[in-house]
Amino acid sequence: MLRHILVTSNMAARGHVQDPNDRRLRPIYDYLDNGNNKMAIQQADKLLKKHKDLHCAKADPSRQVLKAIGLQRTGKQDEAFSLAQEVATLEPTDDNSLQALTILYREMHRPELVTKLYEAAVKKVPLSEEYHSHLFMAYARVGEYKKMQQAGMALYKTVPKNPYYFWSVMSLVMQAISAQDEKLAQTMFLPLAERMVEKMVKEEKIEAEAEVQLYFMILERLGKYVEALDMVRGPLGEKLTSELQSRENKCMMMYQRLQLWPECNALSYKLLLKNPDEWQFYLSYFDSLFHLMDKSWSPPNEEEHCVEGPVHTTVAEAVKFVVDRMEEEDKKDSRPLRGPYMACLELIHRLRQRGCPDEEELGDPLELMLQFFGKFGDKPCCITDLKIYLHLLPPEQHTQFENRLGELVPLGEVGEDGFGFPGDTKALQRHLCVCQLSRVLGLQHTLDTEGKLCLITELKAHYHYGLQFGKSCLKTELQFSDTYCLMVAHVYIDLWTETGDENMLWQCLGVLEEGLSYSPSNAQFKLLLLLLFCRLGAFQPVVDLYSSLDAKHVQHDTIGYLLTRYAGSLGQFAAASQSYNFSLRFFHSNQKDTSEYIIQAYKYGAFEKIPEFIAFRTRLNQSLHFAQVRTERMLLDLYTEADITSSLEESVKAMGLCPEEDDIPWDNMRDNRDLTVLFSWDPKDRELTEEHRRLSLEEESVWLKVRSLTLRLLASLALLGHAPSKRNSDKTNENGVSAKSSTLQTLLSQLDLTLQTAAQITEKQTQYPFLGPPSSRLASALSSGSCHCQASALQLSLTLQELETTGLDDSSELQTQICNSFKSLIVQLQELLSRCKGDVLEMKDSRLMTQPSLLETLVFFVETVCVVLWVASYSASVLRPLKSSLQKKKKKKTKDSSTAMPVVLSGFQEWTGSLQGIVTQALDHVKGQEASLTALKLAALTLGVGHAQTQEECGFTRAAMDKVQTSYLGSLQELGDLLRKRADSLKSLKF
Amino acid sequence: MTTLRAFTCDDLFKFNNIQAFLNFLSQYGIPFYLQYLAHWPEYFIVAEAPGGELMGYIMGKAEGSVAREEWHGHVTALSVAPEFRRLGLAAKLMEMLEEISERKGGFFVDLFVRVSNQVAVNMYKQLGYSVYRTVIEYYSASNGEPDEDAYDMRKALSRDTERKSIIPIPHPVRPEDIE
Repeated sequence: MLRHILVTSNMAARGHVQDPNDRRLRPIYDYLDNGNNKMAIQQADKLLKKHKDLHCAKADPSRQVLKAIGLQRTGKQDEAFSLAQEVATLEPTDDNSLQALTILYREMHRPELVTKLYEAAVKKVPLSEEYHSHLFMAYARVGEYKKMQQAGMALYKTVPKNPYYFWSVMSLVMQAISAQDEKLAQTMFLPLAERMVEKMVKEEKIEAEAEVQLYFMILERLGKYVEALDMVRGPLGEKLTSELQSRENKCMMMYQRLQLWPECNALSYKLLLKNPDEWQFYLSYFDSLFHLMDKSWSPPNEEEHCVEGPVHTTVAEAVKFVVDRMEEEDKKDSRPLRGPYMACLELIHRLRQRGCPDEEELGDPLELMLQFFGKFGDKPCCITDLKIYLHLLPPEQHTQFENRLGELVPLGEVGEDGFGFPGDTKALQRHLCVCQLSRVLGLQHTLDTEGKLCLITELKAHYHYGLQFGKSCLKTELQFSDTYCLMVAHVYIDLWTETGDENMLWQCLGVLEEGLSYSPSNAQFKLLLLLLFCRLGAFQPVVDLYSSLDAKHVQHDTIGYLLTRYAGSLGQFAAASQSYNFSLRFFHSNQKDTSEYIIQAYKYGAFEKIPEFIAFRTRLNQSLHFAQVRTERMLLDLYTEADITSSLEESVKAMGLCPEEDDIPWDNMRDNRDLTVLFSWDPKDRELTEEHRRLSLEEESVWLKVRSLTLRLLASLALLGHAPSKRNSDKTNENGVSAKSSTLQTLLSQLDLTLQTAAQITEKQTQYPFLGPPSSRLASALSSGSCHCQASALQLSLTLQELETTGLDDSSELQTQICNSFKSLIVQLQELLSRCKGDVLEMKDSRLMTQPSLLETLVFFVETVCVVLWVASYSASVLRPLKSSLQKKKKKKTKDSSTAMPVVLSGFQEWTGSLQGIVTQALDHVKGQEASLTALKLAALTLGVGHAQTQEECGFTRAAMDKVQTSYLGSLQELGDLLRKRADSLKSLKF
Repeated sequence: MTTLRAFTCDDLFKFNNIQAFLNFLSQYGIPFYLQYLAHWPEYFIVAEAPGGELMGYIMGKAEGSVAREEWHGHVTALSVAPEFRRLGLAAKLMEMLEEISERKGGFFVDLFVRVSNQVAVNMYKQLGYSVYRTVIEYYSASNGEPDEDAYDMRKALSRDTERKSIIPIPHPVRPEDIE
């Protein structure tokens, strides 16, 4: 909606008579709006021709720009740009041209040109409020804070409206926030901003709430909490009305910063009386209480304890306060609030931490939790609430607790199968909560295999029974009993990890597939299925699962890792490419999106949101996942295309890859992954810890470093290949070459260091909780030998470069070295290939067994073959000219039979032969695997023996097995295809 | 037992249990959220559980002409994670939005809801809302489902002493006819 943007950006509608020019422009706008760019260009041309006698741009600049927009949108960027510049150099001052140029520059991603445009316009029309404000916004878009400050002030001087003044103040705050030097912020920018606001306060010119908010922000950043507090409590604070409890919240914040515990306590107390469910105020109430106790604070003898009212300073008072709140809830007819009961447990927890004996006055935690369960056990959140305080129960009480809870669950008569079932959804939820608690307490984990299998049978029975309550559920709703199904899956996973019995895993997949058939919107089923298929090395089913999750925007950053970790590593290159694109599209739109709303925040005076938006943008730009997909995307493109559809050099250039440049924010990497997206009711000692998070980030970062160095090395290698040979190069070229090889050298030693760090990390053999982050590819990359093989191949290119400079004469040592490298690479590749041998899927004694690691290793092999072949291609480019000049020499020497072929040339020939051999071997292996996979008749498997799987469940399990089989085949086919293409490229290396 | 506070951009990273995967009608893009945060930050409130989980959020705005007595609060989105349903959280969030609209001098609060979403319609009725009019094919088709009508539901605020703003309009209107 181009016209809409124009009209709204013209915010302060000027209300003058419509410009006849506007009317004539309308058809062009209409065409552009409808995406009919060609017609827009034609229409613009038609009208432009009427003014043949004059220079087009001068006669009709706005039409000219509209034509440029049409050109830009039809992919003629260069033409569009020069047309636009023609108009821009005239420094137009008519709205139509300016706005159309603004749009054009934005579409060209050249926002800095807009600032130039309005700088000129403001010079020519210095009294225009509109142009000044456009100039301010143009600076805002590119984050030129200093210039914004000046533009805001100039605007205010032209039209003395408060918002303009405060735009300028806010720009000072932004200079403070973005200043590298915190001292500069504290001694210059912020004090200046403060003085500017104070001036307005003195002159009693403060009008809007936003201005008070900004004042508060400045004082807070300056650490002037006393002043901030006075301001909020004073007349200015009365303007803080939009947000609920705005003044109270700000006061509370300042009390905490200033450690004014009496005020903090009294205010929390006051707010809790008003709303006994506000959790944050219980926390501040307890915090302040204990601070006061530690300081033995006693109230002054005056009537009021402090400005906020009465202060509590003893445990007795706190106990009474909490007990009173609970009693009040008990008395209520309406739905009781959870807050007071939770506060009671929180208080016990804190008293226990302090070793304070008074907790008994609140009661026995076991009884309190039972009471809580009695009141809230039918709410799905009961487990989330109680989980926090389970540590208050000693382990010897756990079983008793479970039994007592069970007594509070109304179940029907015990049937033939030995189970009683709930009569309604409330009873079901209660029963479910007991199961969840028993799992969190670790009671399920201590069961032996037989016990766990019985538990599975029981949970399954409850699951199937509960389905009747959700018969009328919409497709988009969850089934009431879904959680039973998920828990069955968790117990199966326990059994699988403990016993290694893969049947448990197959049945787990079956039960989840069954669950999904009844509850097609259950994201937890999908996520767990996704995780299991990935662990099994079967990526194909994951694609559909992920897309049915319908992940949006930030989710590509928070859960995208589930997909991108496995896509490429399992050899599903097409799917990998697609999944990287999902994520990249989101990250790339972020930059554009945020700057638009930063500008809006200025317009609406939402000043506190401006740094927040910028921090948000930064958080996304520094995302680990973003850096990973960026790198993996390029590597993948090289592996699948370079030297196949276009040369390595062309590919590298098309990506704009520069080996010297490292755009990954190593020191500020943000781990935005949501590592607890999968529900877990595991006991505390099996949960994901902060240490796990740290280790996972460390591991991922090192792996990313390996990958990004590999990528940059490949870019380096590509440019090395481009270097003209020494003989016909002049001095500058020679320098160019050595610069390139020194980059290669530097990157190689960085890679070497990184691999050493990597080895130390993998030695730790960190195991994450099953439902936590997947391990990175680092460990298998190292153990397969692919990293070192790739590094030696790249190292070889350096030696070859040396040979290129030295020539064939007097280089026998170098030549021997190269030949040894050739041989060693063959050995390394051969070893790597041998690690790929084995059956990825096989049937043994009526059991289906997988070895997904073989697939991952095969991918490493293929990636390594790619790298080695690029080095081989570079070798050929070095050796070819050497060989031909040798032949010329030979001819001159008239058949001197004594000159044998230099070792490096014969060595190379031998090498390419061996490479061909290895690739053929690998292809045979892939073909063999494909054949044996196809030959596997899964239908012949007898399922369900001994584990009471119903016919239906067996059907789902079988379907899951089929998916895995098909996916393996898919991976093998893609890997085979790529290997074949690589084998073809090898042929061209012979000479 | 909840912590109610202003929604911030960082909450978008914790969204997975509420928003995601629920096929909510309200799957917005980042620009949409940022627009609300920039324009009506006070109307964007999030509820957080003691363990830090996001329980739900409400997002709204103030709009309409004061002169024509159409200045009002609008509920754009209201979501509660399945885990935290049946606790009265939606009612609490609605109450807050109404209070903010009261302070702004709004005449009423309104919202749109799918005609088929009986659970939601009933909940809003319990909270004092009534159907003001039907908007034909307000929700555009997705996933093979046809276009769907919406109820425009309203609740009068204290400024509308005669409760004029909620007198139902008998004839359905088209989406392009609503303001």
